[in-house]
Amino acid sequence: MSAPEWTLESLAGAIRTKSISPVEAAQQCLARIARLDARLRAFITLDAEGVLRAAKECEAEAAAGHWRGPLHGVPLAYKDLCHIRGLSTSCGTKTPEYFFAEHDCTAVARLSAAGAITLGKLNMTELAMGPFGDNVHHGHAQNPWRDGHVTGGSSSGSAVAVAAGLAMGALGSDTGGSIRLPAACCGIVGLKPTYGRVSRAGVMPLSWSNDHVGPMARTVRDAALMLQAIAGPDPCDATSSGRAVPDYLAGIEAGVAGLRVAVPENFFFRGLHPEIEAGVREALRAMEKLGARVVEMTIPDPQAMNDVATIVSRCEGAAAHARLAREHPEQIQPVVRARLELGFRISAYDYLQALRLRARLTRAFLREVYADADVLVAPVIPEPAPPLAHAIDGTVEELTERQGRFARLTRSFNGLGLPVLALPCGVSQAGLPLALQIVGRPFDEATVLRVGRAYERAAGWSSRRPVE
Amino acid sequence: MSEQPSQLPSQAKGRQSELANLLGVIERAGDLALSEEPSRFAAALDEAAAEAASEAKR
Repeated sequence: MSAPEWTLESLAGAIRTKSISPVEAAQQCLARIARLDARLRAFITLDAEGVLRAAKECEAEAAAGHWRGPLHGVPLAYKDLCHIRGLSTSCGTKTPEYFFAEHDCTAVARLSAAGAITLGKLNMTELAMGPFGDNVHHGHAQNPWRDGHVTGGSSSGSAVAVAAGLAMGALGSDTGGSIRLPAACCGIVGLKPTYGRVSRAGVMPLSWSNDHVGPMARTVRDAALMLQAIAGPDPCDATSSGRAVPDYLAGIEAGVAGLRVAVPENFFFRGLHPEIEAGVREALRAMEKLGARVVEMTIPDPQAMNDVATIVSRCEGAAAHARLAREHPEQIQPVVRARLELGFRISAYDYLQALRLRARLTRAFLREVYADADVLVAPVIPEPAPPLAHAIDGTVEELTERQGRFARLTRSFNGLGLPVLALPCGVSQAGLPLALQIVGRPFDEATVLRVGRAYERAAGWSSRRPVE
Repeated sequence: MSEQPSQLPSQAKGRQSELANLLGVIERAGDLALSEEPSRFAAALDEAAAEAASEAKR
């Protein structure tokens, strides 16, 4: 078995049984990066020396019978907004050292403590502001399934690296869909955990109220393994929850028999590309065959939460990046600058009313949806990954409008703070991935993963690989 | 932040209308009670998780 076929779990198992060494695994990833990344542009910073040094240490420790944790020797890579000592953090901007934090990113530190080794830092939309994954400063990441199509964003490099087998897993961040959109466009699994489940300490803020850090992986089990390592309270992040972290793999194979799966009748299936709708509805039929009780439901209007989340994100993004916006506006892509500018125009009154309204809408959503359902299933992207020109050609107004439309199915769940798993549910006639999202109750990542795993096992989409 | 000098009047108008559309959600929500604080968001997540856990035990 070699890198294109590995999953994080299978590689970790092969290292544990010594059928492959951490150095061989790292070398295979580096060889693939050398061969493919000039075209794919997944990486902003590759730490070839660092990863080989770490792999040798892991190998020596394994030889001595010492295992750091369940990810011992597994090469991972991280979105370039995670602060890691010794590596620069551009956040997709023109400035190589844009973001610095007092501590290493907690999520990366926890993955390292579990044994993972760091390949480098991954491409992303500038300042994580945009759903397509384009970046003029570091090169537009390429969709591994079809050249010339977007990867989804903002965690573009994370999705590409995982889909193309350059890294066995990656971290992304999600403020309006930035884990789920690229996961959907690139045919991988992405998990936005509950707000507060995973520490954001050491990660560039875009919107303190809507930011989430989460795993991007080839399979649902891989995502669960990564979540297990990174979830839990962190004194460095005041918003992290003290709630106990369950064993995410314990019930993951339990199937969906008897679980109630809600399908929203309103909003989510309006104006969809027919292949996306067909893919999601076919997946729902598959879940029903597996024993789930699928029920249609009218849910509280997601557009209201979309607007609330956008108001909050624009204000907080403008506050977080005011210095760059004021001192070097010429360095920011026009469409990103336009989003920042909007934040400066929103009054404190409207910002605070939006935060108050968010709480009201969240209570209503939880009460009305989860009284009769265990999870909600909906599409992630309204169409398969569009051509790159759709993301970069046009006026700022046209691009902003396209961005809003592309992210309209994901943003409300950032406002709601709920756990959401995106995973593949088919392939379009043009060879591009289709995807669905599974939305759970607060802190119930275990059920979301269980439903995702049952569908993944039955459908098998996660074992498909892009042609090289 | 001041308007960028290169911004065209049509762009400024487009952004003004984008903003007005967004803020409409606050107008439509009507009055918010004094008890409706931003912190009730995190409390809503915790309470729903606790309810689900106690239901599962039953």
